Amino acid sequence: MKYDVLVIGGGIAGIEASLTLGDAGFEVLLVEKDPSIGGHMIQLSKVFPTTDCAGCITTPKMAAAASHPKVHLMTYSEVKEVQKTGKEFRVKVLKKPRYVEEDLCIGCGRCEEVCPVLVPREFDYGIVGRKAVYIPFEMAVPKKAVLDLEHCMMCGRCERACPKDAINFLQEPEEVEITVKAIIVATGYNLFPPERKKEYSYTGNLTLIHTNLNPNIIHAMQMERLLAPSRPYHALLRPGDGKVPERVAWVLCTGSRDKSLGNPLCSRVCCMYSVKQALLYTSAIPFGEAAIYYMDIRAFGKGFEEFYTMVRDLGVYFIRGKVARIESRNGNPVVIVEDTETGEIREDEYDMVVLSVGLLSNPELSEILGIDTNSYGFYVPPDENANPVATKVDGIFVAGTATCPKDIPDTVAEAAAAAAQCIAYLKEVGT
Amino acid sequence: MKERNKIGVYVCHCGGNISDYVDVKKVVEAVKDLPNVAVARDFVFMCSEAGQNLIKEDIKNLGLDGVVVASCSPHLHEKTFRNAAKEAGLNPYLVEHVCIREHSSWVHSDNPEAATQKAIWIVKAAIAKVSLARDLESIRLDMKPEAIVVGGGVAGMRCAIDLGRAGITVHLIEKSPFLGGRAAQIGKMYPSGISGIELVKKLVEEVKNNPNIKVYTNAEIVSAEGALGEFKVKVKINPRYVKGNVSDDTISQCPVEVPDEFNYGLTKRKAIYKRDFTYPDTPVIDMNACTKCGKCNPDFNQKPKTVEVTGSIVILATGFKPYEPKEGEFGYKVYDNVITLPVFDRLISISNGKLEYNGKEIRDIAFIYCVGSRNEEHEYCSRYCCVATINAALQALEKFGDLRVYHVYRDIRTYGKYELYYEQAGRDGMLFFKYDPENPPVVERSGNKLIVKVKDLLTYGEEIEIPVDMVVLSVGMEPEMSDVFTMLRVPFSRDGFLQEVHPKLRPVETAIGGVLVAGTCQGPKDTVEATASASAAAAKADTYLVKGYAELEPFIAEINPEKCDGCGECVEECPAGAISIENGKAVLKEALCKGCGACGAVCPTEAINLRGYYYDQLRKSIEAAGGD
Ligand SMILES: Cc1cc2nc3c(=O)[nH]c(=O)nc-3n(C[C@H](O)[C@H](O)[C@H](O)COP(=O)(O)OP(=O)(O)OC[C@H]3O[C@@H](n4cnc5c(N)ncnc54)[C@H](O)[C@@H]3O)c2cc1C
Ligand SMILES: Cc1cc2nc3c(=O)[nH]c(=O)nc-3n(C[C@H](O)[C@H](O)[C@H](O)COP(=O)(O)OP(=O)(O)OC[C@H]3O[C@@H](n4cnc5c(N)ncnc54)[C@H](O)[C@@H]3O)c2cc1C
Ligand code: SF4
Ligand code: SF4
Ligand code: SF4
Ligand code: SF4
Repeated sequence: MKYDVLVIGGGIAGIEASLTLGDAGFEVLLVEKDPSIGGHMIQLSKVFPTTDCAGCITTPKMAAAASHPKVHLMTYSEVKEVQKTGKEFRVKVLKKPRYVEEDLCIGCGRCEEVCPVLVPREFDYGIVGRKAVYIPFEMAVPKKAVLDLEHCMMCGRCERACPKDAINFLQEPEEVEITVKAIIVATGYNLFPPERKKEYSYTGNLTLIHTNLNPNIIHAMQMERLLAPSRPYHALLRPGDGKVPERVAWVLCTGSRDKSLGNPLCSRVCCMYSVKQALLYTSAIPFGEAAIYYMDIRAFGKGFEEFYTMVRDLGVYFIRGKVARIESRNGNPVVIVEDTETGEIREDEYDMVVLSVGLLSNPELSEILGIDTNSYGFYVPPDENANPVATKVDGIFVAGTATCPKDIPDTVAEAAAAAAQCIAYLKEVGT
Repeated sequence: MKERNKIGVYVCHCGGNISDYVDVKKVVEAVKDLPNVAVARDFVFMCSEAGQNLIKEDIKNLGLDGVVVASCSPHLHEKTFRNAAKEAGLNPYLVEHVCIREHSSWVHSDNPEAATQKAIWIVKAAIAKVSLARDLESIRLDMKPEAIVVGGGVAGMRCAIDLGRAGITVHLIEKSPFLGGRAAQIGKMYPSGISGIELVKKLVEEVKNNPNIKVYTNAEIVSAEGALGEFKVKVKINPRYVKGNVSDDTISQCPVEVPDEFNYGLTKRKAIYKRDFTYPDTPVIDMNACTKCGKCNPDFNQKPKTVEVTGSIVILATGFKPYEPKEGEFGYKVYDNVITLPVFDRLISISNGKLEYNGKEIRDIAFIYCVGSRNEEHEYCSRYCCVATINAALQALEKFGDLRVYHVYRDIRTYGKYELYYEQAGRDGMLFFKYDPENPPVVERSGNKLIVKVKDLLTYGEEIEIPVDMVVLSVGMEPEMSDVFTMLRVPFSRDGFLQEVHPKLRPVETAIGGVLVAGTCQGPKDTVEATASASAAAAKADTYLVKGYAELEPFIAEINPEKCDGCGECVEECPAGAISIENGKAVLKEALCKGCGACGAVCPTEAINLRGYYYDQLRKSIEAAGGD
């Protein structure tokens, strides 16, 4: 198969780049390793600074990518090999088995209903469960089931329930070879795993009360899910015991600006998403008390400072200090911190604590693509001031959080920028 | 006309945004049996692929002749649903998208019953409107591959290069005598360490070598008009007053010396001057300074030339200007050694050996942050200044050694990987003091030192006095204002910069079709972000210009000559000058019509309809909305 451009990663960066290229008339293959495109953005609640509902602005882009005549999707697929010969890249893509025939499945969800196995649902970061055969989420694109063989007990119920005979336990991985003229890398970021910050007592297991790990300490993506219009329990409840959290704190820079964890970088979005979450939380629970522990509030983008000032004026508390530890008292998390503006050592008890985790790099393709990363694993554009999306390989461009943590407006701008560089390049090498 | 009677109605939950307050099932119930309705459904996210497929399937299987979607604002998704209908073979303009989120669930969240009732009225009105909808066709507009870029800073050049390489003719218009903008004035730039001059050189080389880019410098825009596909810009090119090749030797003959604005007056230049790193390499004579002595073999008879350029798209890349502190603001203009960051940047670049200012060696410096930002006058944060300040301090330390540096700040916003600069500053022993905007630092003089008095929040509000030789004010960015904004009627944001349509969905478009923004004219940015936005603007332009055409909505005026009595009211009212009276009847020039509807509103005989909003449609809608 031949395309003009291969876009790797179906987050907002990859989608935006694909649509722009498609609109300009180029044939694009968009490869996504997860069962659905959408990336991290589709999981968010509302997005700063405009507080648009993330689903409302991401789903149509996802749908547009699926229906665009020039954009072709390959989900649940991974890039395995890239070879540049002359002006072309030969690429091997591995299509992982869904154990569900994609062209047959109509997304009716009947398989899901009958499956007896329950495991944590990735889309909601384990706050609720999913079945062994499942549709990743309501607005998934493509809206097709996928069967997770690791947890399946081979009972065969789904196979019998499926009206389209789409379940196929015998599916094999399939290697597809394609040729393209240019590549855009939009593989995004990985969330900082909060377990690594031992002092903050985070437990991955949200249902089990452990002696010192506390399920009422959650990470910010879990909070995004709790605040989303499509949220798990249709109400904002803390995971430990289902109580309405009346006092909530955010601990900024969790896993960022922290040399002891090997990540001195600032994650650029966590100040703002925490301020946003505090606003959404106080609108959901009007009598709720929100407090933010910070070192510097980094409200630097267009409209950000104004947004921060507004939230501050609404009565959210801002306490300056790097949180030392989080302990537990009667199932409630207790934040231990020195307030650096008063010198006071505080022990503040909350119903729930949100760890504002940082964005780490996803360098998994750097060797396959032959492009450099910095010591933190982010791709480095060698000529960053003049052309922030070009890499050292002619014809390979990079966009979004793959080069550095960044917010959606900056990500989208880079995605379009990569498309522009691609178009210029394609016109020069001849299409 | 015959009414449509196979209308599909789709009510969206918006994942709870609507269904938490509006009883969507009740809305469906209320309309599903109306005479014009074939099917009514609700769904959790109509805009998702599954939701759109629902509509497409119904169009195909039930042969729908009209669609009503009741969900979020049409501003967001009207296009989405029109495209879906089109893919299923239905004329996209038979889709009516109405808003029951902003217009109902959100504003009436305190009264779900009333919210539901209002949603029902809105949907009924939409059904009535679609029942009389006409098959309209979009207007196809051919696009010549030609664009106009205003501003020759890094953003303007980046954009011009990307377009030029894609085969598009670009007119790059720069008002100053040379390309480059403000980036050239920066010493060693973050993040890549390249100097501003090298950066500009690099881009200028590409501009020069691209045959598709036509550069106009010393060029003033006198008028700009038109619309997507047909902009016309008149440019007055001011003379440089030089002829032939002018050698450096000749330039040095000039007896006049004036402060060089490139170095903020820290150095002098001649009345005739050039900038080696940029384009063009022809010098220019500054007539405000020139005494007409004639030593440089000038040509004072040159006259300004006016040229008209055309383009399908206009990209504004007019940049920023540093905030100029008021007299007395932190001692500015009161004490000699209080300067702004851009000046300090030049001072580092041109100083050798030791750092001197006004004949005084500088051994200790205090930087005061957020000057002209994050206050009542400018609510916004200027984004670049925290990193640029620390970067400048590090450079000064590297170049001159042995400096004591104090940073008096509010929040250090070295976001992302720029944090490493902040860390380096700490390692290098620079000291940081945090001030409260309610209690800003005060600058005073004591003997030959300046004293910065700050109530430092990091030491719990202790009053600290810092004696220094120099105070540097980290000034913010303001938009560089330009007449061309008003000529093209581009809107501004609250912060005074140019307003994009939507920061995530349409970040480089303005409300004026075909006018795009690039770089710092849209908001503070460093060069990484400015060039990214410039390429993004090029990409948006490519989607029209590489493809070669645009499709515009058909909602323009339609004049019924039989009803028109030639009174001419509409001619007066039309802001686009699209109507004229010919042979006693109003005649529309379709290409000019903006679809504002002003003509229809004044026509006494209802001879003018706005396509998509015909009188009969509107009357029936109003009736349906108030009908129960
Ligand atoms: C808690 C939280 C809240 C946030 N809130 C906001 C907000 O309110 N406003 C805002 O502007 N920003 C917010 N952000 C930031 C936002 O998430 C990012 O800016 C944005 O999602 C980045 O998009 P991306 O496409 O670069 O990366 P991603 O969303 O990470 O997408 C990358 C995609 O590539 C895929 N992929 C990865 N590797 C491969 C591979 N090898 N092969 C194929 N596919 C691959 C991934 O599966 C994924 O789909 C928030 C972030 C967090 C953590
Ligand atoms: C002190 C300081 C230090 C900085 N340090 C760094 C750094 O280290 N790294 C970094 O990445 N960034 C840095 N920056 C930011 C950088 O300067 C800007 O990001 C960059 O200059 C923005 O480019 P631009 O093209 O948007 O605007 P500008 O550089 O302002 O260019 C705009 C151009 O448009 C022209 N123009 C304006 N109006 C018109 C008109 N009506 N008609 C025709 N032409 C017009 C102007 O003459 C100018 O040439 C720094 C900024 C300052 C002030
Ligand atoms: S076969 Fe596996 S996936 Fe299917 S219903 Fe049984 S356990 Fe679930
Ligand atoms: S696999 Fe079958 S049962 Fe499951 S969603 Fe697809 S079509 Fe429905
Ligand atoms: S954005 Fe804010 S919370 Fe995130 S790492 Fe940077 S300073 Fe910390
Ligand atoms: S970037 Fe820093 S100095 Fe500049 S306005 Fe923002 S907080 Fe103030």
